[in-house]
Amino acid sequence: MYLKELSEIPGVSGDEDKVRNFIRERIESKLDEIRIDRMGNLIGIKKGEKSNGRLLLVAHMDEVGLMVTKINDDGTLSFAPVGGVDPRVLPGKKVRVGEDKLGIVGYKAIHLQKSEEIKKPPSYENLRIYMGFSSKKEVEKEVEIGTYVSFLTKYTEENGRATGKAFDDRGGCSILMDIIDLNERYDFDVYFAFVVQEEVGLRGSAILMEQLHPDVALVLETTTAGDNPEIPEYQWATHLGDGPVITFAHRGYVADKRVFQVLIETAVKHGIPFQMKRRTAGGTDAGRLARRGRGVPAGVISIPARYIHSPLSIMDLGDYRNTFELVKKVVEDGKIMEEVSG
Amino acid sequence: MRELVKKLTEAFGPSGREDEIRNLILEEIKDHVDGYKVDKVGNILAWKGQGERKVLLDAHMDEIGVVVTNIDENGFLRIEPVGGVSPYTIFRKRIRFERVTGVIGIEGETPDEIEKNLSKMSFDKLYVDIGAKNREEAEKLAPIGSFGVYDSHFVEVSGRFVSKAMDDRIGCAVIVEVLKRVKNSDITLFASFSVQEEVGLVGASVVAYDIMPDEAIAVDVTDSADTPKAIKRHPMVLGKGPAIKVMDKASISDKNILEKLINTAEKKGIPYQMEVLIFGGTNAAVLQRTRYGIPSATVSIPTRYLHTPSEMVEPSDVEGTIELLASYLEGG
Repeated sequence: MYLKELSEIPGVSGDEDKVRNFIRERIESKLDEIRIDRMGNLIGIKKGEKSNGRLLLVAHMDEVGLMVTKINDDGTLSFAPVGGVDPRVLPGKKVRVGEDKLGIVGYKAIHLQKSEEIKKPPSYENLRIYMGFSSKKEVEKEVEIGTYVSFLTKYTEENGRATGKAFDDRGGCSILMDIIDLNERYDFDVYFAFVVQEEVGLRGSAILMEQLHPDVALVLETTTAGDNPEIPEYQWATHLGDGPVITFAHRGYVADKRVFQVLIETAVKHGIPFQMKRRTAGGTDAGRLARRGRGVPAGVISIPARYIHSPLSIMDLGDYRNTFELVKKVVEDGKIMEEVSG
Repeated sequence: MRELVKKLTEAFGPSGREDEIRNLILEEIKDHVDGYKVDKVGNILAWKGQGERKVLLDAHMDEIGVVVTNIDENGFLRIEPVGGVSPYTIFRKRIRFERVTGVIGIEGETPDEIEKNLSKMSFDKLYVDIGAKNREEAEKLAPIGSFGVYDSHFVEVSGRFVSKAMDDRIGCAVIVEVLKRVKNSDITLFASFSVQEEVGLVGASVVAYDIMPDEAIAVDVTDSADTPKAIKRHPMVLGKGPAIKVMDKASISDKNILEKLINTAEKKGIPYQMEVLIFGGTNAAVLQRTRYGIPSATVSIPTRYLHTPSEMVEPSDVEGTIELLASYLEGG
């Protein structure tokens, strides 16, 4: 499991180099071929014994974050989100500006706010990053317009649960790396794609189909739990501890029925707990893959996590292990390949 | 044609669950085409003729629907839309799942609350009652991930056809008939019955990849604005024939195809109307952008009450659409 290391690497959409290097170094020797494509997707290939089919496994390397849009006269930075970040999760948080500079997302102290001010959510128009500088000139030595800003959260484990940033989708990346570590060779080719720029609109995965022409695609994601106590249970998206999440439909795509059913059958057959994704909001690379090239039957397996798209999320390590088990069995059994070729 | 429309519209086939409708269509066309295949995502692609010029006609076989997302301890289902289903439309209607039918209800602990929920409806306030006594029973009948469609049947009212899923089974019926009728054509006619249009034009995005036809025509429904206080800027009406689409929100039809369609209609004396739709889109939008591009257009069947259980079409418009497309393909 590489979740700790992966989680602590900064890699906001479009700036995935460090994540890619980390993964590449660890998978290179275990695969038959490795390449980085024109958008920066890292693709690893394990040739099959019989090589009569192609299974594509996908996880995205990028995480949501921020980007500097303007350096203000007072030495503060204005910024915009990269991917979906609720401005309410930002005030008072530490951030990494550029390579290694520390910043703080400022806010007005509670003492100075009127009650109606407190009730109003912060907006990107009002938020600033403070780096300890007091003039534009000083800041300009360190920061440029377009400098990436990422969350800065150390990974911890407690009570069987992990906390950290960027679990979406370093969780999926880590599972793919675990599968590669098994060093197994299957009947069919397995393509491992660690893709860029998912969070800004499923962009990296858009060029996979023309390169790989897979027969089946399986997307490994980290998905919303939404099992907050204030939400009634019948509105939860998923629940921590209930196992890997299988998607039947999400924004813009209904998961291929055959793939969906194989995932369920595999979990049942091997006694792996699983749950359904019980909301249809949000999309994944599966929707992009199905629409490109000749199309592909695609499915999604996710690890549930609370508070994704914020500086801090929580994942159940049992869910992580069971997700790994499920993916491992799906690939080992190979039924997923039979289903779509039949 | 009436029987075909009845059969196709009553079939079950929300986006991603097109098996039943796919089999029905295959059954209808298999003796009238030179070959067909079901591609990787489930589209039917059929072909007929040997000509050099390749023309693709497309209709989507999926319909809008709902999917079960949650079940509570008393056996009530929660649903979310699959495609453009409005909570206002679905409220108090019946939903047909594969094994059971359910009634849509709305939450509200007080009359005021019901009033509020009625005026600001959302799927989070609606539930489906399938008569189950508890969660276990409901899970057997309609487990989470079950797809449903409007529980609605075909009727003929004053000579007009009313049913669910005219969008786009009427387009499917048109293409089935065209395949049956086109005999002496010097083109290769391709016909696609595509999947998952309603959730975002999924099937049509990939259906033409290998064949790359010289032109593509999407056959779909369009808004008919001839009802009381309907959208003022829409010219389409029932009974004036097929609507030749110039533009909608997602695509602008290829000029050459438009011209040829109009010429064909004029020459054959087929009544037609021109269409500009200020919202919506058809598979033409993604056919057009396939690989290095396919000149594309849309021919529509004007339809009232789109995305409801009672979509209404005028049979003479359907007949006109078949005639127009068949003549077009025969070089008429």
